[in-house]
Amino acid sequence: MSGRDSLIDPSPDTTLAAALRALPESAPQPDLWPELAQALPQRRRRRVWRYVLPAAIAAGVAIALLMPRSPVREDSAPPVASNPATVSSPTATQPAPAQELTQLHQRSQTLERWIAAVAARAPQDSRDLMAAVEVEDLIGLVDVQLGGARGDADALPLWRQRVALLEDLATIRGTAFALAENGDAERANPASLNLVN
Amino acid sequence: MSAASFQIEIPELVLARARRGDARALEQIYRAFERPAYTLALRIVGDADNAREVMHDAMLRLIERIAQFRGDAPFWGWLRQIVVNEALMRLRRERGAMFEDIDEREEPAGDAPAPWVLADAARLERALGGLPALTRSVLWLYHVEEYTHQEIAEMTGKSVSFSKSQVARGGVRLRRLLDNEEVAPCLAATA
Repeated sequence: MSGRDSLIDPSPDTTLAAALRALPESAPQPDLWPELAQALPQRRRRRVWRYVLPAAIAAGVAIALLMPRSPVREDSAPPVASNPATVSSPTATQPAPAQELTQLHQRSQTLERWIAAVAARAPQDSRDLMAAVEVEDLIGLVDVQLGGARGDADALPLWRQRVALLEDLATIRGTAFALAENGDAERANPASLNLVN
Repeated sequence: MSAASFQIEIPELVLARARRGDARALEQIYRAFERPAYTLALRIVGDADNAREVMHDAMLRLIERIAQFRGDAPFWGWLRQIVVNEALMRLRRERGAMFEDIDEREEPAGDAPAPWVLADAARLERALGGLPALTRSVLWLYHVEEYTHQEIAEMTGKSVSFSKSQVARGGVRLRRLLDNEEVAPCLAATA
């Protein structure tokens, strides 16, 4: 649209353009969103099969191939768990909110330290960088919400969300790190990372 | 109503959530563009049922592809192109009439104000409905959405001179429809 044809045609009928633009806008009736919302899970499943699964398989194969040469000790990366509360207390059935909060704080700190150390050493391609920035934005949003949380009951789901996002971020950063370290194994200094956790 | 009505900025955070499949973020995007997208579809396909179908298909396409949107161009422009493509595809599928041509000779306009200056919205919408679908689409894409003739030629699979002639002839036909009160099937808005 840049440049427009008015440069070529100096006399477009501006009154017609103005009259057409002045026509009222319309909306679909009845509301279309409920139909679209119903189609959402189906579409998402299809998307997962199309993009995420092949990507996950590729990432798994890459990591399996690269890990033996990686200078990072196996225990240097924080364990990823769907429910962080169970990581350090496998025997606990349902921790009390205060206890779970403490565990989430600890896990959050561990993840942050690990991510900070890895991020400083691993170059990111633009795609990973964009994904990482998006996740960091979401973490920032959760932090804002945490600032306004009243009591443990409000804070608990937000801390769970924060830890889940940090785990996402760790996955993004960690993959880049594994790839970078594999290509740079001779020059890498494993000790610096092993101190992190 | 103009291209500017489509120029809605969506916050990066909402886009990020939508890329992750967050239904609320997708609804937020849908609500923001509901009216300009549907209106554009309506002007191209010419009736409410088809416009609704276009909108439905365009939004599903958006949901499927939003993860691929990388932010190199404005989001609204990306979405608008999806809507235009869906609408033109539907026209091609549903009507051979898309490519019907009109043969209007350009006439000197004289000093009198153009009839669309004086016409109310309902009358102008009826007259628009009297134009062949492709002519109406080209007229709308050029005057309202501010696409260039080159862009319109690429989207319709026609030449630049064809786009220019449709804009010129469409204007003449519209003038005649309004002058003569040749009223076509209603293309009135539904909301």
